[in-house]
Amino acid sequence: MSAIRILLADDHVVMRRGLRFLLESQKDFSVIGEASDGREAVQQAEALNPDVAVLDIAMPHLSGLEAAQRIAAQSPRIGIVMLSMHSDEGYVLRALKAGARSYLLKDSAEDDLIEAIKAVSHGKTYFGSEISNMLVEDYIREIRARGLEDTFETLTSREREILQLVAEGNSNKEIANQLNVSPYTIETHRRNLQEKLNLHTVADLILYAVRKRIIS
Amino acid sequence: MEHRFRSRSALIVGLGSLLAIMAVAGLSALRVLQDVRGKDDTIRRQFLSRNHVLNDIRSQVYLSGTLVRDYLLEPESNRAETYRTSLEDIRRQMYEALDSYGRAVDQDEIQQYTALRNELDRYWETLTPVFAWSSAERGQRGYPFLRDEVFPRRSNMLAMADRIAEINEQQLNAGNAQVAALLAGFQSRLVVTLIAALGLGLGLAAFSARRIAKLEARENARFDEVASARAQLKDLSAKLVHAQETERRGLSRELHDEVGQSLSAVLVELRNLSAGLGVRPVEDLRAQAEETKALVESTVRVVRNMALLLRPSMLDDLGLAPALRWQAREVSKRTGMDVTVTTELASDDFPDEYKTCIYRVVQEALHNCARHAHASKVRVRLQQSGDHFALSIQDDGIGFNPEQTKGLGLLGIQERVTGLGGRCRVHSTPGRGTVLAVELPCPAEKTLADPVRA
Repeated sequence: MSAIRILLADDHVVMRRGLRFLLESQKDFSVIGEASDGREAVQQAEALNPDVAVLDIAMPHLSGLEAAQRIAAQSPRIGIVMLSMHSDEGYVLRALKAGARSYLLKDSAEDDLIEAIKAVSHGKTYFGSEISNMLVEDYIREIRARGLEDTFETLTSREREILQLVAEGNSNKEIANQLNVSPYTIETHRRNLQEKLNLHTVADLILYAVRKRIIS
Repeated sequence: MEHRFRSRSALIVGLGSLLAIMAVAGLSALRVLQDVRGKDDTIRRQFLSRNHVLNDIRSQVYLSGTLVRDYLLEPESNRAETYRTSLEDIRRQMYEALDSYGRAVDQDEIQQYTALRNELDRYWETLTPVFAWSSAERGQRGYPFLRDEVFPRRSNMLAMADRIAEINEQQLNAGNAQVAALLAGFQSRLVVTLIAALGLGLGLAAFSARRIAKLEARENARFDEVASARAQLKDLSAKLVHAQETERRGLSRELHDEVGQSLSAVLVELRNLSAGLGVRPVEDLRAQAEETKALVESTVRVVRNMALLLRPSMLDDLGLAPALRWQAREVSKRTGMDVTVTTELASDDFPDEYKTCIYRVVQEALHNCARHAHASKVRVRLQQSGDHFALSIQDDGIGFNPEQTKGLGLLGIQERVTGLGGRCRVHSTPGRGTVLAVELPCPAEKTLADPVRA
């Protein structure tokens, strides 16, 4: 298996150096480029076509969110890991909508980054334990405070299975292959479960799955 | 405005009519006085001239009598001829006087006048044959003629002249009475005018006085209002300065005590680590590195919280609605209140000062809910409808009397909102919770219409 080719974007040199040191300790990782702002990250992604782009959320000229959006639009194949100081679900949702498949807190990057890069390079999603815990806690508090009905209970087991697979980053076709049914069946299930949960984007589904601890 | 206009026109009309009344009264007084004087003059002049003529006639009657006597008793023919010529003169003069009187004679005395004239004619007719008498005839018939013809006629004429003079005097009196009546009429008119002018003037004075008093009262009220507003402003700015200072002190202490101390500790630890490399056992060093790491992590958290407190980055990164939801979650986490945020915004594309204003208002209101209201549930609603934002923060806390209590937080909210041309109201009753309602004019249309920004 060839090495995973990585682009690192962060406006702090010390941070980049630390991350590079961490990543290059993995024998199947290769850091092929670095960028110090969002615009440079978009250019480098286009020029180098890496497998994974690790983006800091707050960068000058073009923020990590904007850069992620452009890179995802340019080449959806590139897995994006978003590094952030913010543990708020607003940011997580925004990053997912921008096209990131992983969202990590900078504090815990050294623990989770390697796993995250491996996951997104296979087109999967990944959230660090800290983010997952935070999202779950917020969700539970909200449910308790409002006395909301848990819509998850209304899903069939097939729908739950499909929700998990979608949230992990699989396409309808991939899911159909895994479950040995036609993509149309998957599409129908997916529509139903989205209707039941009242969630209409992949980003919302992923966030929901993390909150319900279906994925992490 | 309308009231002021009305009272002003009333004043103008009142003063105008007062002046008109006075002018009319003055002019008519002048005219009446002139009339009176003219009439008085005419009456007097007529009386005097007639009197003069009558006196002339009267004296000529006497004179003619004397001359007739002298003529009749004069034996000398030449002398007698002189008397006769004088008598002719007198006769002519008498008729001239009578003619001049006759020109001005009026209805009342025409009878007397004609009688006088006839009497005069007869008198002279009686005399005429005498002039043909010889001196002997004169000596013989002279005296009886005088006694029987001349003197009685003369007395008659004089009596008539007296009657005419009497009538003349009566006329003078009548004229005087007319003048007096004119004056009396004028006097009563003057009294009426005076009373009217006085009444109108009093009315105007009362109206003006009341108006001035009202204006004065309003002016005083306005002055008090301004003074109290100024005092309030001064108080507020002092409070704000104090609050700013307190905030800075807090930040400074946190920077120094928390961040500074932690970084110093990290420095010491790193120095020890570096000195210990190759000297102390690896396990020992790793444990110390872990400790240092934990210290740095907690410092990072402190710095992040401080930064978020100063300016929440999600307001810039994610927009207003996500920032409000984040704030609600943070407050819920910190205080245990259940905070829900509902937003209905057409877009997130409006100027930063509006975002900041709404965000800070919600922040301050939530702070009040937690700290003063002891609320357990808070509902934050933000709606963009038409040309304005409607923001409401409703809690189920203990409430308060907004007329009496006005904390610095609420004043700050008011300052921010009125600064952007908005309005802010507090509805609260002790024990019944509080609603803070804010209305802000919407700048979105203007921003879109602005070609520089487009």
